[in-house]
Amino acid sequence: MPGIDECLLEAMTVNGARGAALIEWTSGLALGMVGEVRDEDPEATAAETAELARMAAEQRAFAALGPGSDKSGADPDEADGEPAVEDVIVTTRTCYHLLRFVDTAFDSGVFFYLWLDRREGNLALARIRLRDLCGRLALI
Amino acid sequence: MSLPHRTGVRTGRAPSLTGLADERASGALLCDAGTVYLRDGQVVHAESPVAPGIEVLLTTGGRLTADSWREAVGRTGRTGGVGRFLVDSGRLSGAELEICHLGALFDAAYFALGHGSGPRGFQRGAAHWLGPVRPVGAVAVERETRRRGELLAALWPYPQVDTEPVVLRRPDGRAPAVTPRQRAVLALADGVRTPTRIARELGRPAFHTLIDIRRLAAAGHVATPRSARPEHPDRPGPPAGSAASAPPAPDRGPGAVVFTDPDIDLLRRLRDALEAAL
Repeated sequence: MPGIDECLLEAMTVNGARGAALIEWTSGLALGMVGEVRDEDPEATAAETAELARMAAEQRAFAALGPGSDKSGADPDEADGEPAVEDVIVTTRTCYHLLRFVDTAFDSGVFFYLWLDRREGNLALARIRLRDLCGRLALI
Repeated sequence: MSLPHRTGVRTGRAPSLTGLADERASGALLCDAGTVYLRDGQVVHAESPVAPGIEVLLTTGGRLTADSWREAVGRTGRTGGVGRFLVDSGRLSGAELEICHLGALFDAAYFALGHGSGPRGFQRGAAHWLGPVRPVGAVAVERETRRRGELLAALWPYPQVDTEPVVLRRPDGRAPAVTPRQRAVLALADGVRTPTRIARELGRPAFHTLIDIRRLAAAGHVATPRSARPEHPDRPGPPAGSAASAPPAPDRGPGAVVFTDPDIDLLRRLRDALEAAL
């Protein structure tokens, strides 16, 4: 049964992967980090990334809309606090940044963060790999 | 149940977490508001009466049943291998255990080592029943504890909202919307429950609930009780005109407000804001 480090190392096998982390978006705490560090203060970077995840998870603009949800945009599945957002993707001129929310059956507020070199990485494939990885992280 | 016996507590000068880490000590660092467990100088767990333990986090959300948890503790609690057993028996994945464990560890450490608490003694050799899961460096724990304190102060510098019963308040129309997680907190705010009790009932780390409470208080959704002074007297007050720029006095009924203790900082900021507006 893999732990956090095994999951992070597996994420680093994605083509173009430069760094990976598991972060609490509720608090900004990095539970584990591997790979390259983008600046001198990786914890501050983790907290900033967590702030982006929090905004995406909590803004009503991104609440799930579809069958079974009312017009207010409130997702019935969100009663337990799990965000309706699956992932957040940021592209820059040189990198792809992927944030994937991890669904745990306890209140964790955790997301997986993977960043890639844009020349080597494939965004669509990386997203699928990350989705599968997060699915296997918890035994649900 | 898991607090170590107080026998053998070293007296004299209070030990420090980093000092014990430097000497690669193993044992329980007893603090005013919790206990931090060390093994070979690394932090292996932490507990605090105000932070829900890992068993609360795992069972409240339904991840483990209370029976399943009791069985694990009954079998392996004495030998300090509950964490290992939960994974080996297929009840939890390794990552799940680590995520929940680290969440509980940093949550309890914030209260044990943070503002208003501190080390009182060290019980050498004491070990926690969970067993080592994912040890963390003492420096990282202290740094995170500091970061958390600064984060709360930046959100709303009135620490009294962390410990007082949560009282609902009607905000003005400009207040930020309530998020789904905050809605769950507000649903339990009955003027009696404190933030840490709400956290326990929701099966969430206490610090995460304090973040929600500070944000809700800043937005004016919950009341900010009177207190002698804000966390950072030098910090400028909340923006003038915001929903709750003047923390309201708690509603204790007619005639209950006694102005024995004028909040000088608040009055000064109020005067400055009025002068700036004229």
